[in-house]
Amino acid sequence: MPAEEFYVRYYSGHQGRYGHEFIEFEFHADGRCRYANNSNYRNDSLIKKEMTVSPLMIKELKRIIADSEVMKEDDHKWPKKNVVGKQELEIRFGNEHVSFETAKIGSLVDVQGSEDPEGLRVFYYLVQDLKCLVFSLITLHWKIKPI
Amino acid sequence: MSDRYEIDLNVKPGDDLQDEEMAEAPQAAVKRKGRGFQSGDQRGDGVHSSAFDKLNSSDDSASGRALKSIEGWIVLITGVHEEATEEDILDRFGEYGEVKNVHLNLDRRTGYVKGYVLVEYEKFSEAEEAIAAMNGAKLLDQTLTCDFAFVKPTNNDDRGRRGLTTRGRGGYGGRRSGRSNSPTRR
Repeated sequence: MPAEEFYVRYYSGHQGRYGHEFIEFEFHADGRCRYANNSNYRNDSLIKKEMTVSPLMIKELKRIIADSEVMKEDDHKWPKKNVVGKQELEIRFGNEHVSFETAKIGSLVDVQGSEDPEGLRVFYYLVQDLKCLVFSLITLHWKIKPI
Repeated sequence: MSDRYEIDLNVKPGDDLQDEEMAEAPQAAVKRKGRGFQSGDQRGDGVHSSAFDKLNSSDDSASGRALKSIEGWIVLITGVHEEATEEDILDRFGEYGEVKNVHLNLDRRTGYVKGYVLVEYEKFSEAEEAIAAMNGAKLLDQTLTCDFAFVKPTNNDDRGRRGLTTRGRGGYGGRRSGRSNSPTRR
């Protein structure tokens, strides 16, 4: 039986003096997970890692996203991308597909001062939880030091 | 969930969709939301690019579908109680071999355990035994589910290039407008 439609992608980055600096990762329903990171300006080469996680990992990822209720949110009142950069969170979950785009968020102060603090807070914490998971997966699988 | 498949209305018949998909896909609209769909940015250097590093299994059919990580075997445990501690995990999972690494990640909002743990064993047999013994076991009154965290890719290497090949298209790429463009990965 084919898996339920599911896809997650997160991007955070900016164009600056050192070119395009960013972190991006994605998960597919079949477990394929990719991570790309170009944060080290002294290092020409991009870090690009691919791995396949088990169905249990995808199930846990779905739980984290479902529990966050991020699919109910909308980015139309969130701060727009700016010179500091932008973040993107794309999630396909069953027949719902969101592709949120907003500015980088430094801390909860930025969240509280925004026009939609409740929604942005959901995004803010979910992104941190997802990054935390991905960094653990990368660290344990590759033993590289993530940013 | 009944709306398992979708056909985008702006995909023309025969437009890169495989026959079996057309046959089994009921009409179901996908609800879209977010500014990312309007943004026309295209990047060729991120996850949609090519040449990603991978760890390959070194011909070890004994480990089944599990894939060895760089230093050992990573076991994922879900259903972990929010008040579980690293000591709880080491106590229970240390029975099957020395736990080389534990990642007990916390919920960034609440500060409690997020609900999963990743542990590392040096040997496949230790990880396998831990999974067999602890899958379905209870910790602080919650039932655990255990499995390997990393597996070998299910198909051949071609799959990595195309993304969801059974869907006929790579990725979803919300920043591409609609579905008019082919994926940028090779």
